[in-house]
Amino acid sequence: MLGKAQTLETLKRQVAALETQPLLTDTQSLAAAAGLLATPRGCVHEVFADSLANAGAALGFALAQAKRVLAPERPGLIILQLKSDAQEIGLPYGLGLKNFGLDSEAIVLIRTDTIVELLWAIEEAIACRAVAAVVADIAYPHKALDFTASRRLALRSAASGGSVFLVRYGRDREAGAAKYRWRVEPSLSASPPFDDRAPGPPRWRITLEKGSLDRRRRTSAGGEEYLVDWTENGLVLADTSSRDRAVVLPAYPALSDADPTALGDRLSEAG
Amino acid sequence: MLTLPRWATDCLKRADPALAALTRPFVLWEKQKGAMRLVAVDAAASALGLSAGQSLSDARAMVPDLEAREIDRLYLEQVFADFADWHSNASPIVSVLTHDEAYGDLCLDITGVSHLFGGEAAMLEQLTNRLRDLGYTVNGAIASTIGAAWAVAHLLPGRVVAPGDESQVLHAMPVSVLRLEPAQIDGLNQLGLKRIGQLHERDRKSLQARFGVSFLLRLDQALGWIEEKLDPRLPIAEWYAEHRFAEPIGLIDDVLMCTHDLAVQLAARLEREGVGAQGFHLFLYRVDHKVMTLSVNASRATRDAHHIGRLFAYRAERLGAEYDAGFGVDMIRLAAGSISPLMATQTGAFGLDDGAQGLDLLYDRMTSRLGPLAVVRSKPVNSYIPERAAKLEPVVAATPDDPIAQMPLEVPRPMRLLPHPEPITVIAEVPDAPPASMTWRRVNYRFVKASGPERLGDEWHHAGNKLQLTEGSVEAAKADETEALYFEEGRTTRDYYVVEDDGGRRFWLFRLGLFGIATKPRWFLQGFFS
Repeated sequence: MLGKAQTLETLKRQVAALETQPLLTDTQSLAAAAGLLATPRGCVHEVFADSLANAGAALGFALAQAKRVLAPERPGLIILQLKSDAQEIGLPYGLGLKNFGLDSEAIVLIRTDTIVELLWAIEEAIACRAVAAVVADIAYPHKALDFTASRRLALRSAASGGSVFLVRYGRDREAGAAKYRWRVEPSLSASPPFDDRAPGPPRWRITLEKGSLDRRRRTSAGGEEYLVDWTENGLVLADTSSRDRAVVLPAYPALSDADPTALGDRLSEAG
Repeated sequence: MLTLPRWATDCLKRADPALAALTRPFVLWEKQKGAMRLVAVDAAASALGLSAGQSLSDARAMVPDLEAREIDRLYLEQVFADFADWHSNASPIVSVLTHDEAYGDLCLDITGVSHLFGGEAAMLEQLTNRLRDLGYTVNGAIASTIGAAWAVAHLLPGRVVAPGDESQVLHAMPVSVLRLEPAQIDGLNQLGLKRIGQLHERDRKSLQARFGVSFLLRLDQALGWIEEKLDPRLPIAEWYAEHRFAEPIGLIDDVLMCTHDLAVQLAARLEREGVGAQGFHLFLYRVDHKVMTLSVNASRATRDAHHIGRLFAYRAERLGAEYDAGFGVDMIRLAAGSISPLMATQTGAFGLDDGAQGLDLLYDRMTSRLGPLAVVRSKPVNSYIPERAAKLEPVVAATPDDPIAQMPLEVPRPMRLLPHPEPITVIAEVPDAPPASMTWRRVNYRFVKASGPERLGDEWHHAGNKLQLTEGSVEAAKADETEALYFEEGRTTRDYYVVEDDGGRRFWLFRLGLFGIATKPRWFLQGFFS
């Protein structure tokens, strides 16, 4: 009897470990092959922008990643911001989020007075199994947000399987327990069809400074570089050869979590 | 009915130990029509012949070592209101009678309560004794009408009037105990009608003609011919659980532990009736006659004791240093409000958990810790003006959707919106062309791409609402404030542009006022695209 219980316990632990470490599983590699930049879930990401003027790109990248981990059984997406930062970098705007492909009325915005309350709220939110992603938008460096705090968040998110995105600004990098650190820079967008002078869909130059997704992209500067375009289906590696035109998407089916191509791969064709 | 004739002086003496140690007579005065008159005297002062209404200089002449202070009515009223709330540990319906003075008279509806104290007489004795122990001068009486109880408490304290005996007891009492206006009492005395018994044989019509309908109302209320309603200070909770302690407790952890136990009891009762509650109120009755109230709200009706307990734990965390148990808490009551039917649900193997419930519980916890205004959702509003087109709404106080508030068109809207648009300087090639560069926060941005304009006319029905600006730019805006006295088409029309600078950053700018109509069009930055 005891042996059975023990076996069950070990199996459970193994499954949990698999769930928190889904890095480059089938879906992952397939998504990469299809040109979609997909990041693993269940860990802490730091998203850095060089200055407050790049705030839109940083939040856009974090939300585009967060959108990928939403699932019917995990519908929660929470954005956190300090009250005092609202005028500095702007409040997330409901109608804009809707244009971005998110259900703005399902997103909950948490505005706290202090950074300590903000960190508490991240921890509390990520501990909930219905929350898929927490995006914390922090305009300035804070003492309370140190290695210990990020380690706590990393443990929490590993335990629950939700993702944490810490959106931060500046060129200074402190020690942190985040598994991935991204640097997001806006890049000149490709023109939309029929209008050369109008801005097209967002295009970002992304450097993965910490962690690794695709070793082939490692540059001499010590990070993996990606140039991505935002599309409704997720982030697509930009085709630099046709930089002057917006990418015309090949007829991919909408890639969501249950990856149809991945499913197709496993089905026996003999039928 | 409890009356505290010396509340003003007693209350100050309890609050200030130096005053309590004083052996000299103590009075309170107030400026009335230019004269300083006494309004409250303590026992020592009234023994020396001082009374309310005397002028302060007379009193000082009679009693040279008088301690006199100016009265602070607001403070006294507030403390008395707390004091009255505290009495809800004896009976749920407590009301302060304010016809005479805003403090001093306390009325408790003890219907169906007295047996808990061992009868009416025993209850009256307990209530008055515990106040006397605290140093208050207090008189009490029990009667079946408010008027009779008031009269007896003031003239024959300590009596319990049996139902039906009011007329007999009031017969020999002066008319002044009927809670009348001073003018009415003077008029009655002039006519020689000094006792209530004398009123019986009088013609009611002529009494009403002379003294007004309020006089007859008071008389009938005292005799029980017309029902008088109390208006309770605290909302009457139908669902509550309470716990009394033999020894007062002080630590917040003990309080929360007890709250959890009460929540379990309350949840069992709610479950039996098949209902759930959204609002929960915790009343902590302190030994020193104060009540602390903590309230939490849930976003959906619940009866989960564990959840309620946690909400209070988080609410208490937000309290921090504000929590003050004084000399201890001797009773805790947990009341539930906003009751609605809540059917039992089966959590089974085949149920599909969509996570919505877990999220609601999470938002409740966050709200109780951070406050309702910190946990919000964006909701569309029926307006085209961007800063008005979405509002932030507390998650726990959701309102129904506005069906016409949805944006009908696919228009570009930024991901981030500045709550207050920031003024910028813009250079454009020709007046109506898209901007070529801007200076924002002292940094110059050169634009390579632009689209627009999207023209948004001002809403004439909101023309009074001016553009909200940040502190620094208010002065600049004041210069042309004078022109906006009336609504004129085109003056506050906005032209929005989406622009992209040479680094790929995308901004949302607008020009306020059309060229040719507004005297000086101004440019603002309102948002950032991703």
